[in-house]
Amino acid sequence: MDETTEESRTRAERKLKRAAQLLFFRQHRNPGVKGWELKRALGEDYLEVLGVLDAALDKLGMAVKRIEEEGGGGEEGAGVEGAGAERDRFMIVLKGPLLEKASGERIDTIALLSATLAYLMAKQGKAPRKVVEEFLGAKFPQQRVYFALDRFIKQGYLGEDEKALFIGWRTRAEVDRKALMDLILAA
Amino acid sequence: MKQQGQSKQLRFDELFRLLNFCRTVESEGTDPFDVDVKKFLATLKRYQPKWRSRDELLLDAEALAELARIIELQEQWIRDRSHSFYIDPGLLELKLKLLEPQRLAAAFMSAWHPILGLDRLTPERLQAGLAYWHALLPFGERGAEFPQPSLAEVPFELDELIALNLLAGQEFDDALQALLHELQARGRIGYYEFIFTDTYAESIKRAYLTSYLVSEGMAELELNPLEETVFISPRERAGSAAARLSVSRSIPLAVSYEAWVTWTRRQRNHEREQSVS
Repeated sequence: MDETTEESRTRAERKLKRAAQLLFFRQHRNPGVKGWELKRALGEDYLEVLGVLDAALDKLGMAVKRIEEEGGGGEEGAGVEGAGAERDRFMIVLKGPLLEKASGERIDTIALLSATLAYLMAKQGKAPRKVVEEFLGAKFPQQRVYFALDRFIKQGYLGEDEKALFIGWRTRAEVDRKALMDLILAA
Repeated sequence: MKQQGQSKQLRFDELFRLLNFCRTVESEGTDPFDVDVKKFLATLKRYQPKWRSRDELLLDAEALAELARIIELQEQWIRDRSHSFYIDPGLLELKLKLLEPQRLAAAFMSAWHPILGLDRLTPERLQAGLAYWHALLPFGERGAEFPQPSLAEVPFELDELIALNLLAGQEFDDALQALLHELQARGRIGYYEFIFTDTYAESIKRAYLTSYLVSEGMAELELNPLEETVFISPRERAGSAAARLSVSRSIPLAVSYEAWVTWTRRQRNHEREQSVS
């Protein structure tokens, strides 16, 4: 009986390690791992394994985040529970806001991204690209705006569809949108 | 008689104007409440008894469909506004214009929870890279692997096939419609599941016709490169504004004999399992 308990504990630990490796190390061009990939690697109980990993990471100020794919309502879930997880993307994010500089991005690039996101949020998450370009063009040269927007799209912070920009999956994963709005309005 | 024709033209113009307005609201994402739905409906109701021809009735139906879409957008608009962090766009736009880039960046950094991920090369990956390098022919020699096909010898355009009497225009249209009806009946389905049938020749024919359904905006392909799946579904409104506005791109999908053989084997196994159970 003890042996069985020991075996199952070893198996659970192995799954936990495998889950951490899969989520910490990049498998694809875009960060994160799809639910079906995790299921294949960890087994049917992959959501439970992710729940245990989430609890373990919580102590280190990190969390497992689940993001619904574009077109699926666009909502992100805190934690890992819930149905229809196989099509969703899972990733590890920092829980608390960063206290120090943690990005090599230039301050004006971050400002461009911040303004674009806030603008899109004010427009219910979607606006024609031309209008966004005009808005950003008030403070930055047009050429710089074009390049920055293309880069944000490539990075997943923005999405582009029929000449309209919308909030990308990466923003949904990384940015606390309510906090951003509050901070901008309070600034 | 002339006066009757003029009033008919006026009715058409008014409907087209309203339709265009609805489409602008839809594509630009402006306030859907700018459309006076009640007035639009009253106009449709007033004109409806006067429509006679099929074109007129189709225009009437199109206007109704567009109006339904506007009502859907209005509902979505209200839902967004009732969302917990709805903020007046005008106020936010003004605030953004006034803010220094540094303060905007600082706000973003405070609300940012970056994804954690590491890129590391493993010995296995390096070995795989080296194996790939060894297997790769010099650049100058690789061109011969993929000789350019002679375009003159592959008359695969529909017009050319009709001109060569290999296909009749009517026959093609009928086959296309039959396939569309089948897709509508089956709904969203795996692409290969849809095109593969009992014979490989028929599967190729279905793939060829399916490419027309997609190109004409009657069906939609859904690609998932990560899962390596391709789904096809009928478009709700064939040749709709969305279909017309969407950027066209080529999607190469291999319909190989091996894939067909694998599919038929899987089908047989599946049928066998079903008969056993």
